[in-house]
Amino acid sequence: MRTVWTLAKKDLLLLVRDRFGMFWVLVFPLLQATFFGAIFSGQGRGAGQISIAVVDEDRSEESRGLIERLKKSKSLTVFESNRESAATDVRRGKRVAYVAIRKGFGESSRIFMPASAELEVGIDPSRQAEAGYLQGLLMEASFGGIQQTFANPQKMQAQIRKSAEEVAAADDIPASQKAIFQFFFGAMEQFVTKLDPELFKQGAAIAPAKIESVAVRREGRSPRSSFEITFPAAMLWGVIGCTAGFAVSLVTERKSGTLLRLRVAPLTRRDVLAGKAVACCAACVGIIVLLIVLGRLVFGVRVDRPGMLAIAAMCTALCFVGLSMFISVLGRSEQGVAGASWALLLICAMLGGGMVPLIAMPGWMLRMSSVSPVKWGVYALEGAIWRDFSPAEMAMPCAILLAVGAVLFSLGVAINRRIDR
Amino acid sequence: MIRVCGLRKRYGSLVAVDGVDFEVARGETFGLLGPNGAGKTTTIHMLVGVLAPDGGTVRIDGDGDPMRAAVRRRIGVAPQALALYDDFSANENLRFFGQLYGLTGASLRDAISHALHITGLEARRHDYVKTYSGGMKRRLNLAVAVMHRPDILLLDEPTVGVDPQSRNHLFENIEALSAEGCTVLYTTHYMEEAERLCDRVAIMDHGRILALDTVDALIDAHGGSSVVEAELERPPSEGVAVPGRLNGTSLRVDTARPFETVAQLAGSGLQLRTCVVRRPDLESVFLNLTGRSLRDA
Ligand SMILES: Nc1ncnc2c1ncn2[C@@H]1O[C@H](COP(=O)(O)OP(=O)(O)O)[C@@H](O)[C@H]1O
Ligand SMILES: [Mg+2]
Repeated sequence: MRTVWTLAKKDLLLLVRDRFGMFWVLVFPLLQATFFGAIFSGQGRGAGQISIAVVDEDRSEESRGLIERLKKSKSLTVFESNRESAATDVRRGKRVAYVAIRKGFGESSRIFMPASAELEVGIDPSRQAEAGYLQGLLMEASFGGIQQTFANPQKMQAQIRKSAEEVAAADDIPASQKAIFQFFFGAMEQFVTKLDPELFKQGAAIAPAKIESVAVRREGRSPRSSFEITFPAAMLWGVIGCTAGFAVSLVTERKSGTLLRLRVAPLTRRDVLAGKAVACCAACVGIIVLLIVLGRLVFGVRVDRPGMLAIAAMCTALCFVGLSMFISVLGRSEQGVAGASWALLLICAMLGGGMVPLIAMPGWMLRMSSVSPVKWGVYALEGAIWRDFSPAEMAMPCAILLAVGAVLFSLGVAINRRIDR
Repeated sequence: MIRVCGLRKRYGSLVAVDGVDFEVARGETFGLLGPNGAGKTTTIHMLVGVLAPDGGTVRIDGDGDPMRAAVRRRIGVAPQALALYDDFSANENLRFFGQLYGLTGASLRDAISHALHITGLEARRHDYVKTYSGGMKRRLNLAVAVMHRPDILLLDEPTVGVDPQSRNHLFENIEALSAEGCTVLYTTHYMEEAERLCDRVAIMDHGRILALDTVDALIDAHGGSSVVEAELERPPSEGVAVPGRLNGTSLRVDTARPFETVAQLAGSGLQLRTCVVRRPDLESVFLNLTGRSLRDA
């Protein structure tokens, strides 16, 4: 086992040192993912904006103000809607979230009587980043409201008075406490009339509206952004780069004599092939992980099911290890194998969604794509990233990938053995 | 140490090795001398179990079968095709191949330093092999073959494409290894190398061994006579007895006892400008055995 790992490490190091190889494995897929991702994302809603629905149930001056402030935010696209269709839009993935301004929002803008929660945000629990961002924006917007309140002493005075009346009327507050509140409100009223309104326009630390999050699960299986389409395709391009690289490397080793030296060493033939397979597999998984991390950090690509992604990545890698072994016997010279591999792999990629995304394929094309292992790789990866596959749904592409890989691997090994005889 | 019986290998209709038998004793340096295409490399590949023979057997040290990894561990091979990773440094090549022979830690480091030291590559150990000269690559090829201290060393044309300095370095390395008791099988198409290095030599052509013995015995048996060549100051006068063939002022005498001939010429009253004695060599052996010269075969 250690020998196999020694062999694999050698191949990985050689791959990293091969500039051309690295271009196809890493640079090209990344360009593909970002370039097409950026083009497609420009088509729909504005790039980088979060599209939300706003439901105004309060219909007060304050709620209008909040909506206006939200609309001014550059990072939001705001659509006004009713609660029902807002929730549906979020479920379908048409809007990232909805914000419902509950009845009583305007009332509770009185400073000292915060009601339970005046704002409701409906969002998919997986969208933590957007949820946090939206919360921040809402705080800012509602806080802006409070600022306005403070900047208007008359209005504040009225609200304090109203609060005082409410406390007086409340029957769940002990009399002693009521006395303290009354005193406090009296002092407060005195205080605000003497306030300099300008002071508060610059902002002061006062608790903003309370926000309650409601989980609205996205049920539709649609990608959240164009990058979630281009990144799985890019992963397959990376895997294809590895496949071609390793197929050629086997021939290079045979031609340069290093394969002879490996076979002269006290290893079995199986060790030698296993070393190649492990290296190819590790390179494929590595490029998938790298693209996932980059996609996540820079382009907001999220993985709904990390466990599934691990399985999908592994099955994809194994399939292409088999393909690599098979391609390595398609020619006798390095140029021959390189030519054969790119011809075969480009066809697989074109058919399988490496160029036209699966989601955009017309029916007939989608049916044809099924002959390409690239399709099943993309499908499985998308299944884990946004298609929300159940284990049963994931089983099919993975089984196909493994079966294709196993058949091609055995074929490749058998023919390899005949060549070296 | 190495016993080969009736070894046979064919590629399609071409018989590359056609019933080869020989034995190499422990500590011996054994040469396989033959022109390109004689079947030397094919024989070596069968000796290390990389090629399966169509017929015959190879036995290493008793009845070890080189198809078995444990038997191959005792053999070091410097293949004719430079078997090195160009994108690795000498150090990295040695470390990788050393690990395949089970070397680790301190013993691996020692083996690497030793191999670099004897082949004189220490100064360039961290440079990529692709920046090396042909001679340096050959030296590294040998370093990789010997780093795990094998008892048997198979060297397949180790001096091809090598500058004279590197060639000498390689010879010294091989002689040192042989002095340490290593059994060496050396293939070449340069007869000078076989004469200098090998205890016994097998002359190989068209997949067959034509003759096998020590260099001296081969020359005695197949080399033919020595030649004395002399250049005269002027053509000899009429009636003077001249040995051999005379062509103008050039004289050529085929003889088994060349120095007696020289003495005879000196005493004959002929005025000699130059006089050269050519002993027969392996080249003449090959010529006599095949009717062709080693160089243009
Ligand atoms: N893989 C091969 N396929 C077909 N013919 C081969 C192969 N390897 C060697 N030969 C042929 O076998 C003969 C012996 O080759 P080889 O053993 O390389 O000779 P040498 O090493 O003495 O130069 C040559 O005629 C060569 O062309
Ligand atoms: Mg050869």
